[in-house]
Amino acid sequence: MATPQEFLFRIKRQDSPDTAPYWEQFRMPYAPGHNVVSALMYLREHPVNSAGNKVAPVVWECNCMEEVCGACAMLVNGVPRQACAALLDGLPQPIVLEPLSKFRVVRDLQIDRSRMFEALKKVKAWIRLDHGGDIHRHAPLISPDEQDARYLFSRCMTCGCCMEACPQFHQNSTFIGPAPLAQVRLHNSHPTGAYDKEERLHAIMGEGGITDCGNAQNCVQVCPKEIPLTTAIGELGRQTTAQWLRDLFAR
Amino acid sequence: MADSLNAHFLSRKLHSLTGLVPVGGFLLFHLWENSMARKGEQFYNEHVVQGIGDLLNYKLAIELCLGAAILFHGVYGLVVWWQGRSNTRRFRYGGNLRYLLQRITAFTTLAFILWHVITTRIAAGLDEAVENNLFLHMQRIYEDPVNVVLYIVGIAGATFHLANGLWLLGINWGLTTHPRAQKLSMWACTALFVVITFLGVHAIWGFNQRLF
Ligand code: SF4
Repeated sequence: MATPQEFLFRIKRQDSPDTAPYWEQFRMPYAPGHNVVSALMYLREHPVNSAGNKVAPVVWECNCMEEVCGACAMLVNGVPRQACAALLDGLPQPIVLEPLSKFRVVRDLQIDRSRMFEALKKVKAWIRLDHGGDIHRHAPLISPDEQDARYLFSRCMTCGCCMEACPQFHQNSTFIGPAPLAQVRLHNSHPTGAYDKEERLHAIMGEGGITDCGNAQNCVQVCPKEIPLTTAIGELGRQTTAQWLRDLFAR
Repeated sequence: MADSLNAHFLSRKLHSLTGLVPVGGFLLFHLWENSMARKGEQFYNEHVVQGIGDLLNYKLAIELCLGAAILFHGVYGLVVWWQGRSNTRRFRYGGNLRYLLQRITAFTTLAFILWHVITTRIAAGLDEAVENNLFLHMQRIYEDPVNVVLYIVGIAGATFHLANGLWLLGINWGLTTHPRAQKLSMWACTALFVVITFLGVHAIWGFNQRLF
């Protein structure tokens, strides 16, 4: 592929949560090694659209620049991914940037992801510490195999790509989405986290929980951290079924 | 919270279960019994319609239960359908396509069952001539090639919905959790789909052996 002279961007912009979105084009001279975030930084320094008008710089969020924080997730040419890890070399032009469509837009490419954090709260995606002091006991031993299995789930960065791809997750649904479910799988398997297993399972057995998954399995295809989301969902299917039977017959 | 009659969970589980028994089970049985049409008019009317009919106690009660199960599965299925926003155009994965197909076949199956029950079971209830020779009645239906096509599409939709539903059930009940298990169960469900679809087409052919 011949090296292009410049990059052309088509960016879906929106001035505030309640105003209509619109498209705007921008140009940037070619330089090797750019990614979408560095390009957006260039556009922030040169906020001139391709018609030559000076406009408000494009708003977006980013943080770590190494695909671990999840803040810069957006649609790059229609694909939900981290802008920092999307190298411009090799991307077909014009490069189309849009905010994730399943969340409320705050401004331009910045979205409101509080729904994901609410879901994490709902399922108690944490380990409860019962004591601040030294309890004179070793932490429970965890086999290397189990560590490996759990490590996969611990990599979730709450980026929202899996929700973007999920047909069951949208602004009119109550489904909490794949990522919080995977966190239930993770924390239920932790020796201390297991104390709250029943509560977590009950939290995902109601509306918006595990049963609202339609098994389209898009999530596992798009997750940038390659988290085995569908395995977690299958395991939670087993855990919730068992919990349901316990609720029915063992009380 | 720890309410043991978790209504939402219970309805979803019931939806899944009614799809398998009695509805899916009946589909298997129904295609099998009708695949015997190839043995001819007399055998079919005497041994399939009469014979199996005589074996069943409380036939009307069974039919009503079946109807109620289909109604629940169908109506609750509409609620489930309403909650999804299919996105196969943006995400072209096999699983996503099956997600959409499961919903499309839900509709084709509902429509097909309605039409099929009206033109066979209810028609037989209203007209003694139909009741006395169901074989001939079916043969007449299949004289119209449009009906043959509608039946094949209707049956294939229903068998897909059952086979794919079985695959979904495996995941939802936690029987198949690992991708490998899900892949294997996909093969098994595909085999089931092929076999029972064949059974259905075979039944159609049995009524009108000049067809294919
Ligand atoms: S599971 Fe993957 S795609 Fe979903 S939020 Fe976590 S890192 Fe992002």
